[in-house]
Amino acid sequence: MKPGAFEYVAPESLEAALAVLTDRGEDASILSGGQSLLPLLNMRLARPEVLLDINRLGELATWEVTGDEVRVGALVRAARLERDAEVLATLPVLPEAISHIGHPQIRNRTTVGGNVAHADPSSELPGVLAALDGSVELRSQSGTRTLSWDEFFVSVFTTAREPEELVIGVRFPLLRGWDVRFTEMARRHGDFPIVALTVAVQEDGGVLTGLRAAATGVADRPVRLTEVEQAATGRSLDDAVIADLAGLARDAVDPQPDGAGSAEYRKHLVGTLLSRVLAPELGRSAA
Amino acid sequence: MTVAPERPASLVGARVRRVNDPRLLRGEGRYVDDVHVAGMVHATIVRSPIAHGVLRTFDASACGALLALGPDEIAAATRPLQCVWLAEGQRQTEVLLGDRRVRYVGQPVGVVVALSRAAAEDAAELIELDYDELPTVADQEQALRDGAPLLQPEWGTNVAADFRVGDDAETVEAAMARAARVVERRLVIPRIVPSPMETRGVVASWDANLRELTVWSSTQTPHHVRDHLATSLRLSADQVRVIAPDLGGGFGSKEHLYPDEVMVSLASMRLGRPVKWIEDRVEHFTATMHARDAVHYARLGMDEDGRFVAIASDVIGNLGAHPSNVGTGPFRISGSMLPGPYRFSSAGVRVRGVLTNTTPTGAYRGFGMQEAAWVRERLVDEAARELGVDPVELRLMNMVREDELPHTTPTLQDYDSGDYVEGLSMLRDMVSKREVPSDANPRIRRGVGYGSQVEFTGLGPSPVQKIVGFHLGGFETGVVRVDPDGSVVVSSGVMGMGQGIETTLAQIAADKLGVPLEKVRVTLGDTKVAPYSASGSIASRSMTVGGGAVTRASIALSDKMRRIAAHQMEADAGDVELVDGVFRVKGVPSTGVAFGDVAASTWLGWDLPPGEEAGLEVKDMHEPANISYSYSSHAAAVAVDLDTGKVHIEGYWVTHDSGTVINPMIVDGQVMGGVAQGIGIALYEKMTYGEAAQPTTTSFLDYLVPLSGDVPDLVIGHTEHPAPHIPGGMKGAGEGGTIPAPATVANAVAAAVPEIAGKVLETPLSPGRMWELLHEAGLHDRL
Amino acid sequence: MTIDDTVTGVDLCEVTVIVNGQLRRARTEVRTLLSDFLRHDLGLTGTHVGCEHGACGACTVLVDGTAVRACLMLAVQVDGGEVTTVEGITPDEGLSPLQDAMWAEHGLQCGFCTPGILCSVEGAARAGENVGERLDDLLGGHICRCTGYQNVRAAVRLYCAGGQEAGR
Repeated sequence: MKPGAFEYVAPESLEAALAVLTDRGEDASILSGGQSLLPLLNMRLARPEVLLDINRLGELATWEVTGDEVRVGALVRAARLERDAEVLATLPVLPEAISHIGHPQIRNRTTVGGNVAHADPSSELPGVLAALDGSVELRSQSGTRTLSWDEFFVSVFTTAREPEELVIGVRFPLLRGWDVRFTEMARRHGDFPIVALTVAVQEDGGVLTGLRAAATGVADRPVRLTEVEQAATGRSLDDAVIADLAGLARDAVDPQPDGAGSAEYRKHLVGTLLSRVLAPELGRSAA
Repeated sequence: MTVAPERPASLVGARVRRVNDPRLLRGEGRYVDDVHVAGMVHATIVRSPIAHGVLRTFDASACGALLALGPDEIAAATRPLQCVWLAEGQRQTEVLLGDRRVRYVGQPVGVVVALSRAAAEDAAELIELDYDELPTVADQEQALRDGAPLLQPEWGTNVAADFRVGDDAETVEAAMARAARVVERRLVIPRIVPSPMETRGVVASWDANLRELTVWSSTQTPHHVRDHLATSLRLSADQVRVIAPDLGGGFGSKEHLYPDEVMVSLASMRLGRPVKWIEDRVEHFTATMHARDAVHYARLGMDEDGRFVAIASDVIGNLGAHPSNVGTGPFRISGSMLPGPYRFSSAGVRVRGVLTNTTPTGAYRGFGMQEAAWVRERLVDEAARELGVDPVELRLMNMVREDELPHTTPTLQDYDSGDYVEGLSMLRDMVSKREVPSDANPRIRRGVGYGSQVEFTGLGPSPVQKIVGFHLGGFETGVVRVDPDGSVVVSSGVMGMGQGIETTLAQIAADKLGVPLEKVRVTLGDTKVAPYSASGSIASRSMTVGGGAVTRASIALSDKMRRIAAHQMEADAGDVELVDGVFRVKGVPSTGVAFGDVAASTWLGWDLPPGEEAGLEVKDMHEPANISYSYSSHAAAVAVDLDTGKVHIEGYWVTHDSGTVINPMIVDGQVMGGVAQGIGIALYEKMTYGEAAQPTTTSFLDYLVPLSGDVPDLVIGHTEHPAPHIPGGMKGAGEGGTIPAPATVANAVAAAVPEIAGKVLETPLSPGRMWELLHEAGLHDRL
Repeated sequence: MTIDDTVTGVDLCEVTVIVNGQLRRARTEVRTLLSDFLRHDLGLTGTHVGCEHGACGACTVLVDGTAVRACLMLAVQVDGGEVTTVEGITPDEGLSPLQDAMWAEHGLQCGFCTPGILCSVEGAARAGENVGERLDDLLGGHICRCTGYQNVRAAVRLYCAGGQEAGR
């Protein structure tokens, strides 16, 4: 269980990294935090010809909180965001979601860009990104483009990133006046969730003026529960409405079964998590 | 009442820190992968990627390795490995090495050696392999059906052994016919992967000059490994030296010699260089023996008042691709121990061991007894539910009472000593003191469940081993020596693997000899040094059988020193006592000869009483007169989330009796660790196979073991009924934590959600599975 | 930089790194994992390898002061950095307060997972974190198959309370 042979390159600048991708992007795996890639290399399930280590690109290791978003450089370690006071104050859902990624020793190393670019269909951050209508910045030698989450996530472990492109940043918009909540159900704390749900709520005098809900673990990529979002607007959150929305959420997804549970279980969980996140007093958090 | 007594000033029963810990804590432990020998090269094992077929081509000509041995070379150079536990009529009793017929994913077919492990893996990828695939079967019940793929076609069946334990079928049926009520269920115990944190591994070093093979092996049974390795490699036993260094856990999975380890040793002999092989974690999931995997069609019969009459089961056990070292042993023990702590007029089990295209199943903590407890304790709770009585009362009413011991079960177990009623009553008192969570959420259900068991420990009298077909001697040897400087060395054939036996043997020797603990060193695990042990550290026997030997040897040595000291003081040995390192005549404080001076003079052969031999070394071979029967009762309090299916263990209580306790801290540690593994079985662990018998849980991401947050702090109560037939009175403590835990958790789940109680028949009770049960019962979230 | 600057996984590279306060320099394959580099190139066998997929935590060490899985990094990635292993958090004589608490509370049995746990807890403590509050999170990253965790938790609590000397 040792990695096979690969060519290794660890450029000191973004330009140099992009040059490598222009040359050999088709044959390259990008080593960011490595917390998903290294296991695959060790098991020889990933056999890249080129391993492009971007850990020396300090320019990608910063984040900033602006008036309308938290922009996170691709190389920012999850644990640093998790503990950042400003992020905690402006977008608390982000540290909350991060706290469910693996364990502290993993989060010390894993990066926000790597987590998003890996596109695991049950992972936490892609769901947060979807709920916030966030986006992903990609750069190649021919320029920069920003893809909405919906354009970026294609399928299981598959994104719209072109081989010559590098994910350089992830943008989490701030929803001013919204309450953004995260919950998930995992078999053990730190496991990939069976279902994870990010929900943004805007209320005015007990009436929902806006709702956004994104789930992971129920499809080959994060999904927004648009039927639920539309049905929620203008209604007040009583038990009947919550039950109605939970039902809509269950109908809105078409998950696949796996070792953790049946498709029916996952469908049901989406509704359960939604009702709990909308009315936490109805039940303890599942996770 | 026999709550563990305080024994002030005695090292037996003292909570002393473990002697080995400082070096382990400092990072100075030496596990097999830490062994480095000059000139050492590295091996990887080539394993079958398919579950059933014939290896047509093994062409290593282009792989570039230092050495690559394929199936034919391995088969020609080795003798098959002999199974040691043979059921009557068992159709297969040995395992061929280098068999071209592959029967499970992970079966070793070759070994490749290179300068590094990575290079060996590179070379292995270049070996050309071609298989003709055959149809597969992974499930034992499917393997019994007509037309199922046959692993040994010449048999015409996949059944490798079919036998009974306890009463014959006629007797059992007659008893069941007399029962007013029979509870009958199909109960399943899933396949478990032992998963010690250290995988297996060996360093093999052939000395062509001395014609000696030295093997460092992560094993619980160094002598067993030596004997089988010598036989397989056509060497004499004396040509093979096995050294077991620090072990990173075993739990039964390292209790015999595996084919891999022969192949690596063979590679060293061919190359004339030391060869290291360390199993990787993904390999461990298919290459190391699995355990459990049994289906029980079980019945519990009782009279109108709920008095148990008979218990029976039809056990269909999954042996995997071939009978392992212990073969049907676990399934047999499930039968032998099925009666548990209760009175039955009849008990009988039919066992069928069935071959399938899966990794062979072998020993793992609880060895058949966890399965028995799962079956019996679930049946008891189901009976209580049907009768509408309290499950604890039902247990207490049916337990063998203290005044009925010794007691022989219908399965021929001679229970020795104890008070099962006391243990369960004490447990119920402990549980009653708990704080019940006040959370009134109607979607969370809460319940408390119980489980009780009697455990077969201290394997075992050698003649009994013969009767049950277990080709292992059950004795154990202790050698205790006082060196000329007054220091003490203890040696035994048992093995330390984290259970702290080095410390507890030292406690016994220090206590009996009257020296401080620091004076005693315990050396284990090297066949050149340690006395012969056929069984090693398995079956919760190290302290019982090995400790018994050390107890007797220490007492004999102490007596000898007392005689010599008495002679030197011109006193009677009966009047001599050892106080603070000095032998004195009682009541005459002015007399005295130091312990160290007695040691020194005895090794000189000076000043000895007539007829006394020089030297201070005693070897005691302890053949126990009987199995020692430990017992425990467990209780769990759980919360079940009706909407997510998640089971949360909110409290856990244990009463445990393993006879004389040498070190309560260590015994508690054994209980805690055992319960954690039981919780794993209850809620998380299951090895699964998919299409074409491909394993689907081959990493710690799919095969989940409990983490810290999944295991609550236990409350443990001890009682202490010494084993009457064991010097020192000890019984085994290693498995009593694991055995009843899955049934206890399940009984709590059933108590919390009675609507599904009748369906709680299989572990793990994972959220996904629980939700299915809750859903079928109409209990799911209907907001 | 272009692809011409790459080295292949089986090529040797020189890694210069401060390990446990000492400057160490060794040649190793580019593909060598940090765990194997520490154990086999530098001879620091206190770091144990339990799964090589980041799940068990036995190989946890401190890289630039932060607890990480040594099996999920390449040795070449710590070139120019600083690594602390169990040997580095062990005093010349005796035991550290955390180690002593583990000993006192029987927080280890086979000892295989122990160095990783020590590194995680010690790393958090050195970073000024409240180890007691973060106990569940920190221990969540370690599989121990022997202890059932109860005594590990007890040991860390004892350590947080100032150890046995502080009067239990």
